Amino acid sequence: MEAEKVLEELKDIMVERLKFDPSRTSELTLATVLPKGMEGSLGLDSLDFIEMSMAIEERFGFVIDESQELETHFESLGALVAYVTLHMTER
Amino acid sequence: MRVTSSVDGVARRWYSHRYNRPDLYGLAARLGWLPRPLRLALARQIGRLAPRLVPAERAAIRETLAQFTNATGSRLDALTAQAFVDFAMCFSDLVSTNRQPRVQLAAYVAGTEGVERLRGLTGGFISLTAHVGNWELAGRLLAGQCARPTHVVVAPEEMKELERWVRRDGEGVRFVTRSRPTVSLELVAALRRGEVVAVQGDRALGGRGDTMISFFGQPAPFPMGPFLLASAVGVPLVPAFCLLTAGHRYLVKVAEPFTVRRGDEEKGVQAWGALLEDIVREHPTQWFNFFDIWNPFNR
Repeated sequence: MEAEKVLEELKDIMVERLKFDPSRTSELTLATVLPKGMEGSLGLDSLDFIEMSMAIEERFGFVIDESQELETHFESLGALVAYVTLHMTER
Repeated sequence: MRVTSSVDGVARRWYSHRYNRPDLYGLAARLGWLPRPLRLALARQIGRLAPRLVPAERAAIRETLAQFTNATGSRLDALTAQAFVDFAMCFSDLVSTNRQPRVQLAAYVAGTEGVERLRGLTGGFISLTAHVGNWELAGRLLAGQCARPTHVVVAPEEMKELERWVRRDGEGVRFVTRSRPTVSLELVAALRRGEVVAVQGDRALGGRGDTMISFFGQPAPFPMGPFLLASAVGVPLVPAFCLLTAGHRYLVKVAEPFTVRRGDEEKGVQAWGALLEDIVREHPTQWFNFFDIWNPFNR
């Protein structure tokens, strides 16, 4: 799956599962920072990350390997797109 | 736009007070060399003096106990005083007795109820407790029963220096500070590995991760996090408590495990609230939230 398509799917997840305002998805770019507490971030909290990880597994059909250090993969939309794309390529 | 939560790393601490200081923790810990009966007697004396030093906390716990027990007048005053005495004893144990190797902790347990329920749990689960009695001891004891790693989720301390007095990793217990939002991914991983996550479910966090439930007849905010985590991973919640008995030893109580289906998390919080009411009715002076539990953010 191409990175652009993955980004669109992640935006859908944010609207459907995290109740992100659909009219503002155009503001979401690969540079968008996700975790609360980081400058300019969307302010995702711990509950959002649980929801998002479950939704990614369901949507993309792979199990997130939590034995890895995941924090960096969930730091921004760009990092997350790269992470998902890599797993989709490996399948 | 979604409501931004203040769940993680929240700046305000409605449960904080000016006596939450490293020197006082250190002093209490240094008294750990005293024989426990003597140390607890000293703690009781300090507990009797404490209400005068923290009038706001005294007023809050008095109001709370009135709601819990319907007591008034001198009876309510006595319960209020006893809450500080009980807290002083549990706090003294927290920074000394609790830090002993687990094999020695059994000497401080007068009895157990429902611990056998843990034997039937083969996968991961969430051990759910509250600021009642010596909650931290419950976690350490049950970690031994489970024979698998236990990840204890704790709020970031206001002062880093306090952590050394109340957090001690080892013997299968690992403290996980809720300082980063992505810490929840580590907890998902731990549960999937069949490990235990221990969390307190009685302090609302002040964001969209809270939900209002009826608690002793009035709406109170409670945290949804443990229930969302349980439903997402598909693991049971196991309520557990460690209560000080008349003989100054502890009773460990493990309630019936329960599961929460996706979308039913609020029902899970309500069930937890009802169970917590039962425990608090039995042990009202071991409720150690010295703030208005129904309006915690107005402080």
